[in-house]
Amino acid sequence: MGTTTFRRDLVIAVIALVVLLGIPLVFPSAALRDFIIYVVAYGLLAISLNLLTGYTGLVSFGHALYFAAGAYAFGLLMQSGKVSTLSAFALSILFSAFLALVVGAICVRLKEIYFAFLTLAFQMLFYSVILTWVSLTGGDQGLMGGIPRPPLFGIDLGDPHVFYVFSCVLFVVCVFLLRQITESPFGYTLRMIRDNQERAVFLGVNVFRAKLLAFVLAGSIASVGGIVLALFASGAYPGYAFWTTSGEAIFMIMLGGSQVFIGPIVGAVLLQLLNHIVTIYTEHNGLFLGIIILVAVLGLRRGIADFIYEAWAGRRAARAPAVTAKAQGTEAAAGNKEAAYDPLS
Amino acid sequence: MSKPKTGVRRRDVLKSASAVAGVAAASAVTGFPFVAKGQGKVIRVGMPTILSGRVAILGESSRAAAQLAVQEFNAAGGINGRKMELIARDSKGSPNEAARVTRDLINSDGCEIIIDAEASSGSFAVQEVIRSLPVLCIHTCSETSALSADPAIRVPTAFRSARQGIHDAVGGGRFAAELVKKRNLKRWMTCSPDYAYGRDNTAEFMEYLKIFEPSVEVVDQAWPKLFEPDYTAFVTRILQVKPQAMYSALWGGDLVSFIEQANLYGMFAGDLAFFSGGLADPPVLKAIRQLPDGLNSVYRYDPQYPAHKGNADFYDNYRKIHPDPTNWSWQNYTAFTFVTKALKATNGNTDGKALADVIRGMEIDSPFSPTGKITMRAEDQTIIGYPVAWGKTVSKSKGMTDWVAVDWGEIQEHEKEWKRRKGYV
Repeated sequence: MGTTTFRRDLVIAVIALVVLLGIPLVFPSAALRDFIIYVVAYGLLAISLNLLTGYTGLVSFGHALYFAAGAYAFGLLMQSGKVSTLSAFALSILFSAFLALVVGAICVRLKEIYFAFLTLAFQMLFYSVILTWVSLTGGDQGLMGGIPRPPLFGIDLGDPHVFYVFSCVLFVVCVFLLRQITESPFGYTLRMIRDNQERAVFLGVNVFRAKLLAFVLAGSIASVGGIVLALFASGAYPGYAFWTTSGEAIFMIMLGGSQVFIGPIVGAVLLQLLNHIVTIYTEHNGLFLGIIILVAVLGLRRGIADFIYEAWAGRRAARAPAVTAKAQGTEAAAGNKEAAYDPLS
Repeated sequence: MSKPKTGVRRRDVLKSASAVAGVAAASAVTGFPFVAKGQGKVIRVGMPTILSGRVAILGESSRAAAQLAVQEFNAAGGINGRKMELIARDSKGSPNEAARVTRDLINSDGCEIIIDAEASSGSFAVQEVIRSLPVLCIHTCSETSALSADPAIRVPTAFRSARQGIHDAVGGGRFAAELVKKRNLKRWMTCSPDYAYGRDNTAEFMEYLKIFEPSVEVVDQAWPKLFEPDYTAFVTRILQVKPQAMYSALWGGDLVSFIEQANLYGMFAGDLAFFSGGLADPPVLKAIRQLPDGLNSVYRYDPQYPAHKGNADFYDNYRKIHPDPTNWSWQNYTAFTFVTKALKATNGNTDGKALADVIRGMEIDSPFSPTGKITMRAEDQTIIGYPVAWGKTVSKSKGMTDWVAVDWGEIQEHEKEWKRRKGYV
């Protein structure tokens, strides 16, 4: 990863943050603010899952475990009244990272369907613990009584505007970090593992360690999404750890795209938007959401962000041959077209 | 010559998809589907509830009662020329969705009052939304006592217009203890759904039964999972254990399945005294093909009890909108009675605090109470005086009879002691 790329990403992150913070000033709607906070929480879940799915080739069906672990750990720590917001935040991420380390150490050795099912099994185990440990978690009623929000460095997180800013900053920082991970040599090692694990082994890569590190990093970032949601809803609910939440994250990746870095965020925006709109107009939520997703998947055959990127890259490649073909012939032009579609770079 | 293409082209699909995405994105930016907030012409009342899945009957029967109440409010001219509009939204039974939908109803649809027709888990989520967006909220379906009894959970603008577990536990314990004495029913068994409500409800019933009749012995407890389709194993277990009496917190479709499968084994043909926490909802009674005679159930709803003209009128008017009412129907209708009276008292001011101040301690005339009055108790913002009664099933009419009301003085006395034990006082 070059300094130029880092600087470019930094500039994009700052612009994204400015845009996000500017939205409520231009459109002062509480509903829009709420919507963006939901996108922040679920966007972090989806984009962190894509580190495993899109970049490492590990399709996890149990990623919501870390989302829920973050939410519950943070909620319980804050309700205990014994730790500060910052400590609760750090401890919750550490707890989720530890869970991811344990689960990952068992799962990442497995391939494809075995990996997917074992991650799902661990998630459902965690879900069962939440349901049955009623004295700690509140069982199926979730954490009751609200999550206290004492000031953090003098910042009142109980103020909806302040909480919005807090969520957006957190979101941009996490996405920026994830971007740096994916653009680092480690990120490219993950891609190599995804494309040809044997080749990575022959090149001396410790595949287990690399996969485990990706698993822990993805789990930690997902937990930040859970913390944001717990703070926003002032509670944590067993549904966060249910398999459907992991399913939603996978839908977001399918809808937005797994090859373009921000694809899962685009998917999170679309799925949240669809969920909002469909809920307003019909009680047959599943039916309508299913049809819309089916049409998108069959019509585009890839995520929307991937589709747009490919169309743009294709157009650029089509323009390039007109210039290069004259000089180098059509063979070289075909090579250009192939090279043009490299959205991960 | 190329053949013209027929059918839907991929390009068209993509264009349509882009158009949908464009509209969606545009509406997102502008704060979809934003409706002007504040003191508009219409008073918007939001109802987060469950309108899909296995528990949809809860939302459908709640919404129908709310529609009836809104129709009546508007037919009476509204308040200061302002009519009422109900906006009901499906939370799909998820607390997370209940919170999101409630926020949307307030922030996006401009609802000034929330009638929370969520099941218990959703109600706790809605309660937290109301803590941060303090509009008037009345919970109309949650029976979990902690929602209003626990001061840590209480919110100044949130009330409960629903029966609650502790009241029914005291009432059920008292009623069952009398039968135990009469029929010497010492050996008890329970069969309730395996989740927080099922376990808490059963524990409280048995606790108060033992308080009123300490000689009772629980010989076995069965916990089928929620929405269990096959109760055969549980029925055969009951037949093996041979209890003299049993309590079940099963409800809705689960209870219908359980009774029908128990009928196949002739479980109710003998002397087994059956006590149910959810049988007396008219749609449940009617759904059972062969309703056994003499099963005991706590009051849920009966058009003939209390024998009040207002109750009969409610039943007739409700059935013009929806099939038979449920327990949730009268509770929602009662919530609107409080709201209407409060709006009159505040002269149409819908501010959450203003409405809460007049509802706290308010007494309303109600056709659903044996005394004709239901009170919103000020100390914990929950209703008292509603029917806590037990009756028996009648096979022929698929209804209930012989309602025995439990004294509210005794209920409140035990409730106080329970609150002390729980540390709520």
